[in-house]
Amino acid sequence: MLFRMIRGALFRQRGKMLLIAFTIALGASLATAMLNVMLDVGDKVNQELKTYGANITVKPKDSSLLSDIYNVEDDGEAIQQSYLREDELGKIKTIFWAFNIVDFAPFLETQAALPDGSSAKVTGTWFNHHMDLPTGEQLDAGVASMRSWWDMTEGGWLDEQKDEDRNAVLVGKTLAEQLGLHAGDTLTLAGRAETKEAVVRGIFDAGGDEDGQIYAPLDFVQSLAALEGKVATIEVSALTTPDNDLARRAAQNPNALSTKDYETWYCTAYVSAICYQIQEVITNSVASAVRQVAESEGTILDKTQLLMILITALSLIGSALGISNLVTASVMERSQEIGLLKAIGAHDGPITGLFMSEILLTALGGGIAGYFLGFGFAQLIGHSVFGSAVEMKPMVIPIVAVLIALVTIAGSMPAIRMVLRLDPAEVLHGSKA
Amino acid sequence: MSRRKMFLRMITASLLRRRSRMIVALLSIGIGATILSGLVTIYYDVPRQMGAQFRSYGANMLLVGDGETPLTTETASAALDAIPAENVIGATPYRYVSVQMVKRQQSFVAAGTDFEQVTRTSPYFSVDGRYPENHREVLVGKEVADAIGVKLNSIMELTYKPEETTGGERSEIRPGDRIAGSAEGWGGGLVYVTAELDEEMKIASLTVNADTQTEEIGGQCAEANYTNRFIGRAFPPEEKDADVVSGATLTSRAVLSALQTAVPVSKTAAVQTGNTLNLTVVGILQTGGEEEGYVFLSQSDMAALTGEEGKIDVMELSVSASAEELEGYAEAITGEGSGVLARLVKRVTKSETAVLAKLQALVFLVTVVVLLLTMICVSTTMMAVVTERRKEIGLRKALGASDNGIRAEFLGEGMFLGALGGLLGAALGFGFAQVVSVNVFGSSITFQPLLLPVTVVVSMVIAALSCLLPIKRAVQIDPALVLKGE
Repeated sequence: MLFRMIRGALFRQRGKMLLIAFTIALGASLATAMLNVMLDVGDKVNQELKTYGANITVKPKDSSLLSDIYNVEDDGEAIQQSYLREDELGKIKTIFWAFNIVDFAPFLETQAALPDGSSAKVTGTWFNHHMDLPTGEQLDAGVASMRSWWDMTEGGWLDEQKDEDRNAVLVGKTLAEQLGLHAGDTLTLAGRAETKEAVVRGIFDAGGDEDGQIYAPLDFVQSLAALEGKVATIEVSALTTPDNDLARRAAQNPNALSTKDYETWYCTAYVSAICYQIQEVITNSVASAVRQVAESEGTILDKTQLLMILITALSLIGSALGISNLVTASVMERSQEIGLLKAIGAHDGPITGLFMSEILLTALGGGIAGYFLGFGFAQLIGHSVFGSAVEMKPMVIPIVAVLIALVTIAGSMPAIRMVLRLDPAEVLHGSKA
Repeated sequence: MSRRKMFLRMITASLLRRRSRMIVALLSIGIGATILSGLVTIYYDVPRQMGAQFRSYGANMLLVGDGETPLTTETASAALDAIPAENVIGATPYRYVSVQMVKRQQSFVAAGTDFEQVTRTSPYFSVDGRYPENHREVLVGKEVADAIGVKLNSIMELTYKPEETTGGERSEIRPGDRIAGSAEGWGGGLVYVTAELDEEMKIASLTVNADTQTEEIGGQCAEANYTNRFIGRAFPPEEKDADVVSGATLTSRAVLSALQTAVPVSKTAAVQTGNTLNLTVVGILQTGGEEEGYVFLSQSDMAALTGEEGKIDVMELSVSASAEELEGYAEAITGEGSGVLARLVKRVTKSETAVLAKLQALVFLVTVVVLLLTMICVSTTMMAVVTERRKEIGLRKALGASDNGIRAEFLGEGMFLGALGGLLGAALGFGFAQVVSVNVFGSSITFQPLLLPVTVVVSMVIAALSCLLPIKRAVQIDPALVLKGE
């Protein structure tokens, strides 16, 4: 009987029930969209912040000071005594947080004499290096994406995959002006060990010291300086979690942590944890966070997430109030029906049950439709803002379900009870409520 | 009773009599208006607030000299006038010189700066200990500290050697110049001289710093009865001019060759006898960048070390502005022709523009989606409230009310609710935006005066629109059918 009554109500009052279902669907989709975007915004913004370049630098343990400090004298012949090994570079993609390593590139610098008698710094690096990892995966890494702020004023990036680009270089804007070089010209570079001819593939404007330098493929510089298989520094761009107290303590000395803290730290993508893991795989290396990038990333991520959380909270409250409001209105509208049921002897319990089941059934339908609609909205935001899909977070489903259920009950219960308290005669007479 | 009075009474009476329903409708409009005014306020303020957060990436503009006029704190500060003061978050002068650590033949870069500004332009600096506050205190980069083994509170003795000039690039010395030079004395220690020349290219005054030499022997060369022997001699002095101090041959030769290789220094420089400073290490700096290989001194200590007051190499600016504005400022400064060039730090400005645009687009889309959904939500509630009154409409029609009269009344009621809800929502929304701003960005939000009328009007329009559809349907139906309840 109850079933038939509910079905009757749902079908006979189709218009009203559809309106309720529609509103609930809207509320649910709002909640779904905002929760999905909020939960994913950290990753997305983190990805965007990668345009600032590397947030970790790896240097050989004992020579880090020598290159930095003695090069200041600019004699160009500062000898760096120890190097990192090129063959170990792939191991960076095998650490615990390998998935968070977005990009990395090795650097090797040397001084080379130019045709006009002056000398310039030649930096060897990867541009779009392709390598097969020991794990069987393939990897493309290099500076092309880590120097997003470079403008190619002439020519373009050099392509390591092409054979003719093996002896190609990119020249900084200032240096190109000084030498009168243009894209396509040939440049003779006299390195410490070898003199090589190179084709100028492009002229770049970096807006910094690099404008007076030459960038070349790593093996080109290695043979120029007779440093085969060696690398001076590695820049790593990694997605990280903003630092907290634990991360700060760990950065001082990971060994001083308790076992539990150590595990939490090691298994969280803190920049210090990733540095530590890189040091584990690269022999004789020191990995340190570039605070300018790492710290600022943390600040901006935190702020963006907090902002989204508050906006989400506002929309959740908004949709909750909207739904419960409508449910209240729809119950009050049916006060005459409740009065009639009471007048023909129905008890309060079954009446409440009947109305609640009707509304909850409607809410279920609306909620399911709303979830998919909301997921669509989330994708719309993800694609148009970040150009990538927003990840579907399973935890959103129970949150939205509980929210809708609570809101529907909270919206209808007080209204039903209020109507039940009234005298059926008065309600039917139409003088109350 | 006039028609208008009757109309007003009907609207207010219906609002009062049907209190609970009206509260529902008002609440629903209020929520919509709150979300509208709150989100739009945030949307307008986000670029400004987020832009300020991006300043944690440090300097986005550099002021440098053009190679002819030396850059000083004064010229750089004068150039700063081209940028509105409230947009300048920090302006940090840096003077870089190469210094030596006495007793260790190790040289590194010392930077003289203003530490209060450093905390603004480079908020990512992490200092173990504290920034120097008093005279003769030094902040040491971590790599330097590790390499030479200094710790907090240890004393560092730093010596400045004036830039060594090479070959024919020596700057020309003119009459009336102040000159400074250094040369190796006994045991490889440096002897520093500063001298003033008169209009006839004769030495007018001479100070010698021989702190690196044995006090009783070479130290004599720093005393007046030795230095006075040079006064009045033609510059550059020749070998015969230098009387050798007995037992301190190397030191006295060093004084001579220091004078012979001396270079002109700024005339405004105060006479400095000590180019060696004893500094207390008060902080170790960690940045993960090249700054870790420097030591940082206060500007006054740097002046004491180099004898040059006010000269700087670069001024780092952190300016809160969009990329176009920054370019405008840079052009204005460079175009002034005061010898100060402004350069943008492309890495910071370009990336900031890119990321900020994304964030703004994010907030924009979120605002649009939330507003759209909320507004539909509001109108369904309004529709439900009006639909419920079909009987009333039917009764009125049966009593002879015109369709237009009914429409006007219901619309008036809806718009009244809309206005009230809009006002309520505008206030609540601003409150919400303020809470968000204070919590997220730690600063209060600017009130957008235009938003108040906009919120009220939008609320009224939505309320009216959502009333229109159900009224239209109710009016079309035969009153008899409506009243019968079918």
